[in-house]
Amino acid sequence: MKFQIEDVTVYFPYDNIYPEQYSYMVELKRALDAKGHALLEMPTGTGKTIALLSLITSYALSKPSNPIKLLYCTRTVHEMEKTLAELRLLHQYQLRHLGPAARILALGLSSRKNLCINPAVVSAENRDSVDAGCRKLTASWVRALAVENPNIPTCQFFENYEKAASEAVLPPGVYTLQDLRAFGRDKGWCPYFLARHMVQFANVVVYSYQYLLDPKVAGIISKEMQRESVVVFDEAHNIDNVCIEALSVSVRRQTLEGATRNLSKMAQEINRFKATDAGRLRAEYNRLVEGLAQRGNLPISDTWLANPALPDDILKEAVPGNIRRAEHFLSVLRRLVQYLHGRLETENVEKEGPVAFVASINSQAGIDQKMLKFCYDRLHSLMLTLEITDTDEFLHIQTICDFATLVGTYTRGFSIIIEPFDERMPHIPDPVLQLSCHDASLAIKPVFERFQSVVITSGTLSPIDLYPRLLNFNPVVSRSFTMSLTRNCICPMVLTRGSDQLPVSTKFDMRSDPGVVRNYGRLLLEMVSVVPDGIVCFFVSYSYMDGIVNTWNESGILKEIMQHKLVFIETQDVVETTLALDNYRRACDCGRGAVFFSVARGKVAEGIDFDRHYGRLVIMFGVPFQYTLSRILLARLEYLRETFQIKEGDFLTFDALRQAAQCVGRVIRSKADYGMMIFADKRYSRHDKRSKLPGWILSHLRDAHLNLSTDMALHIAREFLRKMAQPYDKAGVSGRKTLLSEEDLEKMGDGTTNEMLF
Amino acid sequence: MSGEVLKRARYKTSVKDSGVAGVLKMTEDKFVFMPNDPTSSARFDVEFRFIKGHKFSKGGSNKPALLNLTQDSEKGGGYIFEFENYPDREVCREFVGKALAKFSEASKAGSEQSAVKLFDEQLSTIEMERRIKLLREDRHSVPEEKFGVLLLKGILPLFGETIIAMKLIDSGIASKVKWDCSELQKLHKQFVLSGVLTEAEFWATRKKLLDGNTSRTSKQRVGFKSAMISDLKPLTDGRTNRVTFNLTPEIIHQIFAEKPAVHQAFLNFVPNKMTEKDFWNKYCRAEYLHCTRNTVAAAAEAAEDEELAVFLKHDDILASEARRKIRRVDPTLDMEADQGDDYMHLPDHGIFRDGSKEIIDPQYEQYRRTLSQDLNRHAAVVLEGRPIDVELEDTRTVAEALAKSKRVEAANEKSDGSVTRERLERISRMTEIEDLQAPRDLPFAALCIKDPRDYFDSQQANALKTLGDTLAGSKQIKCSLSSQEAYGSLRGFISEIKSVGLSDPIVKPDIALKVLNGLTQNISSTKFHLGKNPQESVLDRLPIITKEELLHHWTSIQELLRHFWSSYPITTTYLYTKASRLKDAMSQIYPKLQEIKESVQSDFRHQVSLLVQPMLQRRRETLKRRRRSEPQEGPGGERTMGSIGTDLAVMERILELVKPILEHSKTEQEADQDHHQNQARAQHAHLTSTAHPVRFPLVPGSRENCSPLCGLVKMGVLLAFSLSDLREVGWRRRV
Repeated sequence: MKFQIEDVTVYFPYDNIYPEQYSYMVELKRALDAKGHALLEMPTGTGKTIALLSLITSYALSKPSNPIKLLYCTRTVHEMEKTLAELRLLHQYQLRHLGPAARILALGLSSRKNLCINPAVVSAENRDSVDAGCRKLTASWVRALAVENPNIPTCQFFENYEKAASEAVLPPGVYTLQDLRAFGRDKGWCPYFLARHMVQFANVVVYSYQYLLDPKVAGIISKEMQRESVVVFDEAHNIDNVCIEALSVSVRRQTLEGATRNLSKMAQEINRFKATDAGRLRAEYNRLVEGLAQRGNLPISDTWLANPALPDDILKEAVPGNIRRAEHFLSVLRRLVQYLHGRLETENVEKEGPVAFVASINSQAGIDQKMLKFCYDRLHSLMLTLEITDTDEFLHIQTICDFATLVGTYTRGFSIIIEPFDERMPHIPDPVLQLSCHDASLAIKPVFERFQSVVITSGTLSPIDLYPRLLNFNPVVSRSFTMSLTRNCICPMVLTRGSDQLPVSTKFDMRSDPGVVRNYGRLLLEMVSVVPDGIVCFFVSYSYMDGIVNTWNESGILKEIMQHKLVFIETQDVVETTLALDNYRRACDCGRGAVFFSVARGKVAEGIDFDRHYGRLVIMFGVPFQYTLSRILLARLEYLRETFQIKEGDFLTFDALRQAAQCVGRVIRSKADYGMMIFADKRYSRHDKRSKLPGWILSHLRDAHLNLSTDMALHIAREFLRKMAQPYDKAGVSGRKTLLSEEDLEKMGDGTTNEMLF
Repeated sequence: MSGEVLKRARYKTSVKDSGVAGVLKMTEDKFVFMPNDPTSSARFDVEFRFIKGHKFSKGGSNKPALLNLTQDSEKGGGYIFEFENYPDREVCREFVGKALAKFSEASKAGSEQSAVKLFDEQLSTIEMERRIKLLREDRHSVPEEKFGVLLLKGILPLFGETIIAMKLIDSGIASKVKWDCSELQKLHKQFVLSGVLTEAEFWATRKKLLDGNTSRTSKQRVGFKSAMISDLKPLTDGRTNRVTFNLTPEIIHQIFAEKPAVHQAFLNFVPNKMTEKDFWNKYCRAEYLHCTRNTVAAAAEAAEDEELAVFLKHDDILASEARRKIRRVDPTLDMEADQGDDYMHLPDHGIFRDGSKEIIDPQYEQYRRTLSQDLNRHAAVVLEGRPIDVELEDTRTVAEALAKSKRVEAANEKSDGSVTRERLERISRMTEIEDLQAPRDLPFAALCIKDPRDYFDSQQANALKTLGDTLAGSKQIKCSLSSQEAYGSLRGFISEIKSVGLSDPIVKPDIALKVLNGLTQNISSTKFHLGKNPQESVLDRLPIITKEELLHHWTSIQELLRHFWSSYPITTTYLYTKASRLKDAMSQIYPKLQEIKESVQSDFRHQVSLLVQPMLQRRRETLKRRRRSEPQEGPGGERTMGSIGTDLAVMERILELVKPILEHSKTEQEADQDHHQNQARAQHAHLTSTAHPVRFPLVPGSRENCSPLCGLVKMGVLLAFSLSDLREVGWRRRV
């Protein structure tokens, strides 16, 4: 269908539209018009992604003179694939209605590991080996040597791509990672470099958060993006954590040992070069005197991850004189590693700010703040000079330099925490020095500054006024939409008591109580026999899940559960988890039914949908609080209190409940879908906890469902499932339309009446 | 087997009995006991095939040398003989052992042919059991306790097998179990016990039924158990430090399927390097180490013993399988792709110790195995199903069969190119939001009406809604229309079309609909007139007894006719007598039907006659079809109850015609063979009889009715299309 929102004709690939999608688009359009940032919360299962894509592409089409570019950030690669699939659907529709004028180039961008098609390179196990494998074949000096010596292997795909030069372009269309690989194979061009190149010309780029948030990556990938771009962070409820992680580094003994090895290797290389090619080192020295700005002119295949700090701060200055010479720089690094070694030897937990830490380095190792700040860039310059291709061997020293640069750049919002062992395992000495970032706004600040519109959206952004404070920005539009339901297709319940009427909770003093474990098991067992198809269970942590599943196994509950449904578990091994998920889906598809055990902050909870028959029930066992004894968390809470006046308790509850809401929200995809959600913990019945749940869940949480025991929940589940099995009118009961057709929208006119829909 | 054995022995009814002295003579297929005292009643002559097994006492100093030939393993009753000494007993025991072995083989192999070879032939017990099972099969669940006994009485004289009778009675079938009287039982009772058909004849036409059952049971393959039985739990006796693991073939199979490394190790090590027992000992040891959760100890043990290490380390085969599978995984699920797309790619980036991660010493990492991994693996294997089809008894064959099936699977995977395309299609389908979109045209399956009653019941609603006018039409159905008139009207229409030309569309949709509804409504009109709840069929409205009787007569008629035509052409005297028997039986049914009709209340009389009519009609039709040489009988339109009389007359005439020819032509011997052919033909006829055009649609149990009805509807549609304005009345009469 197509319709007008003010001056923009919106092309929407479906025959009908939900009213909240329409309002979402209206709000979004206002934000784009105002060239400002937006914060939009809309429940899962209301088609956020397609509404976003549809409006932004239509907006770009309606303003052909100055088309905006869309940078769509997803949390994970599989979400990237989903988004591109939706975009393709939309694009096909637009092409049908507008013809060639609607042509756009949209592509997904990922690392070499996901894009490489050279079998010799891609067979490597992890990303770093693939990167190194690629560099070994494509680095400029390797290729230069290969010209003279045909025995030196190069990458055929990269050579072809280079040969094609300016002709190597992607024709308009929507390319998923798989399509890129297929195209590359077809043409014989390297899809990775092709995609990297095409990003500048694409209308829509879909990539993951860190391409914008991690300054190291952003400096390379995203530096060509024009200001007239719309940046969308989808599923952004965790964006503050992503920002924080992007600027946090930890140093362990293994890191230091590895770094020492790397340094001696580099020393050997320097000596070799001194003997054979002293000119190179001198040339580098001269380059460093002029500053590092020219790094941007390196061939595409030689680029490194950029400086982890904000590039603009650094590029203006030249590298300090005392680390310009390679040997001097190496000795500085040695001293730094030595110093860190000494710090790790501590018996007690130590915590200090960056300023104090830098001062201490200065006094003990003689390295000042400016030298620290330039470590990362200086290291890469050196590695390029030394023509090091096996970069995966040199990760440890990179980590150290990354750490040094961060410490040298930021004076606030960070703390350095040294722990001699893990709190939970005091008998295993495992000292770690962590540079932890507390301020999410540091990483995202350049994004807000650089791009005219940044849209942060998710199904759970409650309380919506907290995010602008955490991320330190001023949205022009900040709205939370409710869900207009044709029927009550979600059924949230709070279960406070088990079948023996005793309270259940994962509170620290209760969680290992055998009664609670048994009650949780009975709850699942009862549900498994009543609910068809898929059931998803979320636990508060891996260790808790392991413990409870083992107990269930020993007491025979697991065996009984397995008589009804197959059991799959998320593990920390992603390959295994992916296969388990795939099998879970197949079990649901074939009607066998299955249960999936997952962890609230795990990878599955972040990005996998359990829509339709893949999830008819979600059980959230406990409240997923963070590990509150973690030093890092405590430090962050302290920072939040001092800087933003956010209370610790409030933040912890907010964080736990957004995770819980995120977990249970995975069951709904559309209004035709239905699912139940059980919050199994007595603490959910308390108002201060419950009220932090997003509105669309709260509005369906009836008072009668606030304090249930297992048998009552079972009864409600039966009733609900029977009710959902009845046929219903999709368009909604007269009066409250939940599905709008083109005519409905026309009748509504210019959008003045749409407010009454809610 | 060497000839025979002759020994002195005492026959005893029980061990403590003093017994009767005499001579036991054993030949290849039977044993005979002759008491020394000729007046004794303990004289018998028993064939070996009724002997299920034999027991004997242990050789000891004072104990008597006993040999017990058991008839029934459960009951333990049988023939007990006491020999004078052990060597005598041993000779007899060996002889019996050989004889029994021979018989058990023979009965397995021979059961299939033997069943139909002779009329009074002895059936194998398997066959017998199968028949009894069929007879017992519950269809209408009308309990009739007496029948069990009746059936037994019926079977016993026929087979003359005390042993079967004993077995049946012993297992409490007759006395305790409530016998459910099925249709089949009733028929069996009616025809076989009353002597119309012999046992063999009765079953011959149902051979398919017997075969079908067995093939069905053997085909269904059992999947893996949902429970994780491969997760062995050690049992302790509580006093010593000994732990016990129990392994069954089922568990071993599951272990092989879930742990390819163990499977591979078994194939490599057993039996060359170690015995199977040693192998499992090692395996259990590894399991024990694992369940103590002591990774350090496991590592230490593994370092010393490389075979043990195989069980303790991570499964490399699984890992490579996982790598292979991950490439085919749905990209919207592929979390592995994130691995390489994370800012975490530099080690130690991000927050290291935030409480969500766990620390394990990397040195022992490979010896750590979690329950989660086992659970995932188990569920995956259960989902894949059980690929092999061999008996689980022998571990080696299981292992090899599993290896073979895996190779086949791997080969299939390589050749499978369509999978990726299918996957992509699925993703694009998944991305759509279902309720925003107009419903897609789903690929439809052809209509297959399993139970025609349901279909016509549902048609009632249509008929009620739309068709007031065809109601009038249906009433005219009984008036006759001569072929000239019909032809004339058809010509008229054709000429009309010639002059006017075809209208577009050729058939007005509303007329076509009317025609179709009229047609089907015609069939279901009886119910329409009742105007009742569509779920209820006419039969349900009749008194239960009447209904039962009607149904029963219907099936009896079918049965009789089937047998009658299976013996056609009547070429032997045997067949002749059979046919006349059938005719007689048929003639008995006629008055019964008449009786039913008269007995019911006047409200239902019309219904009943409507129901009875096709039964009669059916018989007549079959007669006509098969005997084209015979002159047509009876008037064309009206069907009366009287026609059964003419049917009988026809049958009689056939018999008369055949009789003289028979008497001169063939010998009895040939007749037997012919008969078998006919039996086979009868089965065939039973299968293909669906092509029969006129059926009785409202009687349950005659499922094959569906296709002729569909055919009828199709015919109606075709007619409607070719003759645009044909009035319903006119051509309906023809139909």
